[in-house]
Amino acid sequence: METILGLLLANTLTRLVFFPTIACLPLLFFPRGEDRAAKGVKVYTLIVSLIELAFALQLLFTNLGADGSFPLVDEGPYTWIQGYGIRYHLAMDGISMPLAMLGIFLVPIVLLGSWKGIERNWPAFGASMLLLTTGVLGTLLAWDLFLFYIFWEVMLVPMYLIIGIWGGERRIYAAVKFFLFTMAGSLLMLVGILWMAWTFQRLNGGVWSFAYSDMLRLDFPVHQQVWLFAAFALTFAIKVPMFPVHTWLPDAHVEAPTGGSVILAGILLKLGTYGFLRFALPLFPKATEVAQPLLVWLALIGIIYGALVAWVQDDMKKLVAYSSIAHLGFVMLGLLAIDQVAWEGSLLQMVNHGLSTGALFLLVGMLYDRRHTKKFSEFGGLAKVVPLFAFFLVFSSLASVGLPALNGFVGEFLILSGVYRSLGWPAVVATFGVVLAAIYLLKMIQLTIWGPLDNDANRELSDLNLREIAALVPLCVFMLWIGVAPETFLKPSREALARTLAEFNAGVERPEAAQATLRPITETGR
Amino acid sequence: MTRADLISLLPEMILCGAGIVILLLDAIAPRLRRSFTLLSVLSVAAAAWGAFEAWRGVPGPSFLTWGGLLETSGPTYALSLVILLATGLCLLASQGYLRREGILAGEYHALLLWCAAGLLLMLRGTELLTIFLSLELFSFCLYSLAAFHRRIAIASEAAIKYFLMGAFVSSFVLYGIALLYGATASTRLAEIGPALAQGIPVGASLGMLLLVAGFAFKMSVVPFHAWSPDTYQGAPTPFVAFLSVAPKVASALVLYRLLDAVVRGGAAETIEKWTVVIAALAVLSMLVGNLLALAQRDIKRMLAYSGIAHMGYLLLALVVIDPNRDRGSLMPVIVYLLAYVLMNAGAFTVVAMLYGRPGEQHLISDLAGQGYRYPLLSACLAICMLSLGGIPPTVGFFGKYLVFLNAVGDGLVGLAVLGVLASLVGVFYYLRVVYYLYMKAEERQPEGLLLDVWGRTAAVVAALGTLALGIWPWELVSWLLEATAR
Repeated sequence: METILGLLLANTLTRLVFFPTIACLPLLFFPRGEDRAAKGVKVYTLIVSLIELAFALQLLFTNLGADGSFPLVDEGPYTWIQGYGIRYHLAMDGISMPLAMLGIFLVPIVLLGSWKGIERNWPAFGASMLLLTTGVLGTLLAWDLFLFYIFWEVMLVPMYLIIGIWGGERRIYAAVKFFLFTMAGSLLMLVGILWMAWTFQRLNGGVWSFAYSDMLRLDFPVHQQVWLFAAFALTFAIKVPMFPVHTWLPDAHVEAPTGGSVILAGILLKLGTYGFLRFALPLFPKATEVAQPLLVWLALIGIIYGALVAWVQDDMKKLVAYSSIAHLGFVMLGLLAIDQVAWEGSLLQMVNHGLSTGALFLLVGMLYDRRHTKKFSEFGGLAKVVPLFAFFLVFSSLASVGLPALNGFVGEFLILSGVYRSLGWPAVVATFGVVLAAIYLLKMIQLTIWGPLDNDANRELSDLNLREIAALVPLCVFMLWIGVAPETFLKPSREALARTLAEFNAGVERPEAAQATLRPITETGR
Repeated sequence: MTRADLISLLPEMILCGAGIVILLLDAIAPRLRRSFTLLSVLSVAAAAWGAFEAWRGVPGPSFLTWGGLLETSGPTYALSLVILLATGLCLLASQGYLRREGILAGEYHALLLWCAAGLLLMLRGTELLTIFLSLELFSFCLYSLAAFHRRIAIASEAAIKYFLMGAFVSSFVLYGIALLYGATASTRLAEIGPALAQGIPVGASLGMLLLVAGFAFKMSVVPFHAWSPDTYQGAPTPFVAFLSVAPKVASALVLYRLLDAVVRGGAAETIEKWTVVIAALAVLSMLVGNLLALAQRDIKRMLAYSGIAHMGYLLLALVVIDPNRDRGSLMPVIVYLLAYVLMNAGAFTVVAMLYGRPGEQHLISDLAGQGYRYPLLSACLAICMLSLGGIPPTVGFFGKYLVFLNAVGDGLVGLAVLGVLASLVGVFYYLRVVYYLYMKAEERQPEGLLLDVWGRTAAVVAALGTLALGIWPWELVSWLLEATAR
């Protein structure tokens, strides 16, 4: 068994998850003042995030196959709480890899974007961001249900602090709402996890286990499965967020500081969809079948409703926030289609949304840094004054709309193909969502950068400086790259998605169990 | 009286002796007063060693001494250490407070040590009159300590309330013992159980109810909880760090023993009846505790109600006492109590240091901005709050997890869901403290604070313990499993 130090020093998942937390400890001793000390803190945090990115790239390239596929990188299981079968077990496969990379990639960008926006107490902000990174990575890589739950909860406190300390006017309301909503769902999921663990223990001769691979072997009768699925699905639906438990999102996004919004939209929301793909769907296939019609309706409502509400917003940040609901409705629809193509599209779209919406939030933040307002009525005709900003805004919006040659198109097209093939009419409704997305995003562009420059306050705006460009360019590069060469990004996940799909279909086809049963470990069991 | 008898009483004797020594020193050499904290903490450590000695030589999982009146076993050893931990934390936190208020006197330490001795005795009692005597012993110390700050009216008011109610409850307990004796011709729990096997006569039922009421009072379980917010508010804050945890620990074990005796002897309907009673107490405590805590603006009252809620969660672990599962059901109780001691004592320790005027209200809003003025103490308070809320990776989460795990396993899924939702309500008021510490601008500068190294040590030990046991709980749990296995 490896020692903790050994795990932390080698090229391991443990290092990837915990390096940010360990590196943030010195931040607690930095002085909190402004000027040069604060600059040192910002640089330190940025360097830490870049080192983390280097570790991630190292992990990626050492494991990426010659044909571009990504295998299951397994680490552990290490004993942790033996008596209850809780193990410290991390694993990265083709499903969690893109999301983990996205999360790590966004952190330096967030830090660059928050350089001027966060004015006080940078050590705490940097520490919160790094702790959040650990929480996110742990959630994505956990292969043991208890460990997953712990990391899921661990994410809450740093995000609460980020919204609550550095947020806007109604930040406390938004932060508490975010915390309580998320925790409500996850506490119910805890009861579900405990129930599953007990069932396993009773069927396994008294030996406990919380391992993901062991939980997959449990077959529940449908009436029990439905309750367990409901507990899990509620948690993830709150996170995605799906209609009608989405009401925390507009508040949280609008009140959070720019960096907080980017990380929230960029990666935190994806954890809900990831949870569906990794846990709720494979563990409870029959219940998914039962719930599928309802969830499809909710996803469609999310797409259309999110888009319609975004259309009528007079505040830029709120518009982008509601667009998140619409986009993730698309992702959910793709997941619910239970189809390889749709799933590939959904996973890619998760990454795409992180990139394009992240860029949009950054841009809104940059405008806010200059004019301290986000209302459309204050802007207009900015293209004449800040052409670089206008370029990036148009670029990111078109990626978000789904213009071919940019990333959004690939994701949406794959999702729509898969959904049409397996579900039929929802694809038609969802396509309207694409049209609506074009409407509200083009409206945003129209009201901010086209048109007459009638507000004098905008005449003296400074264009993007080097730091802001440095934050946006990587996002745009990937938006273009994924758009023109999507296969590079689809290949790594294909095998993992196919395997999950095969397991899901096998679960659906299996005859219904009259009572909970434990299937034996198969040779392909993971 | 054999040698084994004397060894089994080693911790209590050390504590009583130390208390007497400190009292004498206080009278003879008052200039030594500032070293009493060190002396008493050393004697607590010595008592812990004594408890270890008493347990070490025990042949078998449970050893009766003094003619069967006291039991030394794994659970009592573990809980003795928990109580001694609470005593130690309280003593460390008290030094600064007592000096600041000008009430540094040997009586405080002596009373606290005797109180701990009484609690340890009650833990070990297997016979009702022994339990009652030790109950009285530590209760009198608690009443006196609650009134210790003579110069503020609210302390005397708190103490009178506690004393009057406590005196009533003690008489109930005694009457309950008498009724049980009448029904079973014995005051030993080991004999009461089998005597009730054929069904419980009404007198014995009433007696059991009175006993349960008495110990529920000490645990501040609804509906016997009304004294705790007022008493916690008025009593000296570092003492409340002890008051809010230690009597609960001992009473929880006694409650377990009582229920165990009934269940072991009793018929199926009896067990069911008691399951309903305990479940009702648990649900009421969880709901009332959490809902009323929401409305509190005084942090000590809020923590009192939160304690009531936590005892509700703890009772969930005592709802189903399966005679065949033996001591296995004690493990979550012990872990939860240890978690509760660490986080609650930690919270009160910091509160004692950050509020300078004990006679006035300890408003939560007074903590505004203190997170930046006193970063270390505020971080400790924040960690304890998060632990009380049950947020990983703290020991508070682990304790709750164990309790809910056992509840689900016992088939009490509905109660587990209720408990989980009640926890959610709790998170709101715990977060409120974090909010004031870090997200609100400072409104007034606190005056007259005395932040000494002892108090800081206590706070840091509590906070670090909370985190460490939350991240690596297994060492503790496996040791407990070993110690409580039968």
